[in-house]
Amino acid sequence: MNELDKIPVRQEISVAQGSVKRSNPLANVFDELVRFCQSRSMFMLHYCTGCGAIELPPAMTSRFDMERLGIQPMVTPRQADILLITGYVSVKTLKRIILTYEQMPAPKYVIGICSCTVNGGMYWQSYATAKVLKEYLPVDIYIAGCMPRPEAVISGLRDLMGDIKSGSASNWKRYFQNYDHYLGNQQKLFDEDWQTPTDIIAEAEHYGLITDQTLGEHTALLQKHQQPLEALEFSLGEKREKIRGENQ
Amino acid sequence: MTALDTLLLISAITVGVALLAGNWRVGGWLVTILYALQGAALLMMSGLGYSTLTVVQSSFSIEVLSEQLLWRFDALSWFFALITIGAGLFSSWFASGEWGERYRDNGGSLRLFHGALALNVFTMLVLLASGDLLTLFIGWELVSWASFLIMALAGGKAFGYAMRYISYAFAGAMALLGGLLLIYAEVGSFDFQSLKEAAPQMQASTLWLLVVLLTSGFGVKMAILPFHLWQAKAYAQTPGPGAAFLGAISSRMGLFAFIVVVVQLIGISRLVEMEIPFTFLDAQDLLAWIAVFTIIIPTYIALRQHDARRLLAWHGVGQTGYMLLGIVIANDLGSAGGLMHVFNYASYQAMLFMVVVAVIHRTGTSDLNKLGGLFTRMPLSYLAMLIGIIGLAGLPPMNGFVSKWLIYRSLIVDGSPLLFLGAVIGTLGTILSVYKLIHNIFLGQLRVEHVAVREAPLSMVIPMMALAVIVFVTGYFPGLVLDWTSAVQASIGIPVLAHHLGGVSMKGGLDMIWIVSVLLIGFGFGTLVFFLGGRSRRVHQLDNYAGGHFLTAETRYHYSDNFYPGLMHLIGPWYRNSFEWLERGVISAVDTLSTAMQGLYRNAHPSYLLLAAVVFALSWVIV
Repeated sequence: MNELDKIPVRQEISVAQGSVKRSNPLANVFDELVRFCQSRSMFMLHYCTGCGAIELPPAMTSRFDMERLGIQPMVTPRQADILLITGYVSVKTLKRIILTYEQMPAPKYVIGICSCTVNGGMYWQSYATAKVLKEYLPVDIYIAGCMPRPEAVISGLRDLMGDIKSGSASNWKRYFQNYDHYLGNQQKLFDEDWQTPTDIIAEAEHYGLITDQTLGEHTALLQKHQQPLEALEFSLGEKREKIRGENQ
Repeated sequence: MTALDTLLLISAITVGVALLAGNWRVGGWLVTILYALQGAALLMMSGLGYSTLTVVQSSFSIEVLSEQLLWRFDALSWFFALITIGAGLFSSWFASGEWGERYRDNGGSLRLFHGALALNVFTMLVLLASGDLLTLFIGWELVSWASFLIMALAGGKAFGYAMRYISYAFAGAMALLGGLLLIYAEVGSFDFQSLKEAAPQMQASTLWLLVVLLTSGFGVKMAILPFHLWQAKAYAQTPGPGAAFLGAISSRMGLFAFIVVVVQLIGISRLVEMEIPFTFLDAQDLLAWIAVFTIIIPTYIALRQHDARRLLAWHGVGQTGYMLLGIVIANDLGSAGGLMHVFNYASYQAMLFMVVVAVIHRTGTSDLNKLGGLFTRMPLSYLAMLIGIIGLAGLPPMNGFVSKWLIYRSLIVDGSPLLFLGAVIGTLGTILSVYKLIHNIFLGQLRVEHVAVREAPLSMVIPMMALAVIVFVTGYFPGLVLDWTSAVQASIGIPVLAHHLGGVSMKGGLDMIWIVSVLLIGFGFGTLVFFLGGRSRRVHQLDNYAGGHFLTAETRYHYSDNFYPGLMHLIGPWYRNSFEWLERGVISAVDTLSTAMQGLYRNAHPSYLLLAAVVFALSWVIV
């Protein structure tokens, strides 16, 4: 199941990736404009897992200056567009990465930097690292190298910008569409009671991305173990008392 | 019977009713209605606030030692009485519902509480109505004792703080009495008018002594430096709405007396003539600098407090500095700003105290390290606190902005950049500490033990909301309050500020209607985007980013202890408790002296005393 492309995906949804022309020409212009704006304002959460992180400061600061392309660092996943994973991913760290990824609002893009995220790199024989990142998360762009220089990082980000502008960067949808597959890999690596606070299935419903691959045996296992977190509601007093009264 | 007689009579009846019916279930509401009646009686004199009336006499007067004791209201008294009665009304309203029941169940006496509150209002009205220096002193003493009564109600620690207050107040009253005797010796009368006429002819040395004595006497009540230590602890320990009342208006009585005697009768122009030898300062500068340090030091003490009530009470000390600063500058802008700040400050300080008391009512604590995330549980209280802290920090669109703007502007016009800098440093401290207040109580993580907390009851929320409306409306239309301050300026003989409904009419003036409307349009646009934009999804507060860490209910990610460590790293060494040290030094000096005197009189050398008496008697006989 490692080859993502072999997974059958329901056709009409995988086609509806933004590249489809809408009948209204004004709507096309609007979509184009939105995509252009998105590609020119990318906030990245750099999850600095390994040595590749050292190439980011020069890429961000005055010599290479990513910000001229509209790429800026962001401190929380809630406002970020790109998750940058810079180096080898240990099993422990992968849990955190998945938590962080799921907290990001769509559309979101994952970039794997360094060989370690591609195939484990020099940690290939380690028992404690997750070798192939894309088994657990849909990766949009890999920037290989040990480590890639800032030029390479920026070049990779420009490729992503091009993909966003053309509308073909839609891997984030795969996470919702094939959630069962990703969750299965995560469960295999962590444990069968693995869970994050984010309710991905509800979010998939929210975006209208439920397919027959979204739910499956792994999500059933998740639902068995999940302890749901209810969002805090405003309370002015009476409502809460009423609920309590009904329970009694 | 004049309107003032009616007002004082209703106020006295309020005290009686509170003492009689305070413990009844409807007692609190009865008293609240009586406060509303006092307000109505005050409105009968509203001509005072709009310069259509100059003075309202009381028909009651006594003659003592050929001195006529008079009580009357002028624009200044009316303005302060309005705030006093308003604070009394809202505090009593707040106390009449669930808060009062809880207070009674915990063993407190509501009869005493309402009685003490009504007595405070009554004595303050008597002080505000004083028509000569002797009635001023009588009112002054009454107010001191009434404040002591309400401060000491909680017993225990509160009693200790109240004793500390009354020691300060005694010292202040003695200084005041000394000042009054000096006036009598110089002028030969306790009349306001004769002091006003005699002041320009007084010698500089006499005037210095007089100003020092009077300012110390009034300064103790205002808690200006170096008499600021008693106030915060005493106010913070006062039961619930009592703290709101005291914080809002009580220490303004010192300011009132200062305005009456020093500004109105002696005159700021006389202070400017009093130069301090070997410096380039005069008495006005000295007072202004005292005011600035009264802003800065207590505000930064407030920053270090971790009890919400104490934090607010220390701000009460600090904000006094702004009022005094504006009034001492005494141009049209400054005095209007200082007077308006009295009103504004009372409105939001009462509200902030009420919010904190409501939080205590629901959660049982005001410790800023043990709260957090109450926003979802007490949204209306949150709103009240938000409006209050915007006012306290002096940001638009609330009324605190207008008064601080006026004070800053007056300092610039006056050409005092250093005073201006001091005032701005104080505002910086205010902003930092009010953010700490709202962050540690309402924002961040809701604690597990507070999940079941509910919004405060209506009897508490309605007074808060009413005050919030006042804070916003007088910020939107500051002209409403500036009308009253202009009447005050006219009656105490300071240039009157040219103003309109939206603010100040001058070159580079202020029009709050414009500013607030622009702000509201901006907010409206944001609201539109929020509600018409994409659907939002609520998430649980533990579904939160902490560097990728998995949060559980046991994980405290709400950061409240040791707030502002970076700032404290810079300014921490400046906190040395020098004034506490000074106070202890004075206490031990007095203690030593009294022990020595006691030893001399009682224990050690009665024979020496006998000898001294004999020698004195013999010398008297022989000579």
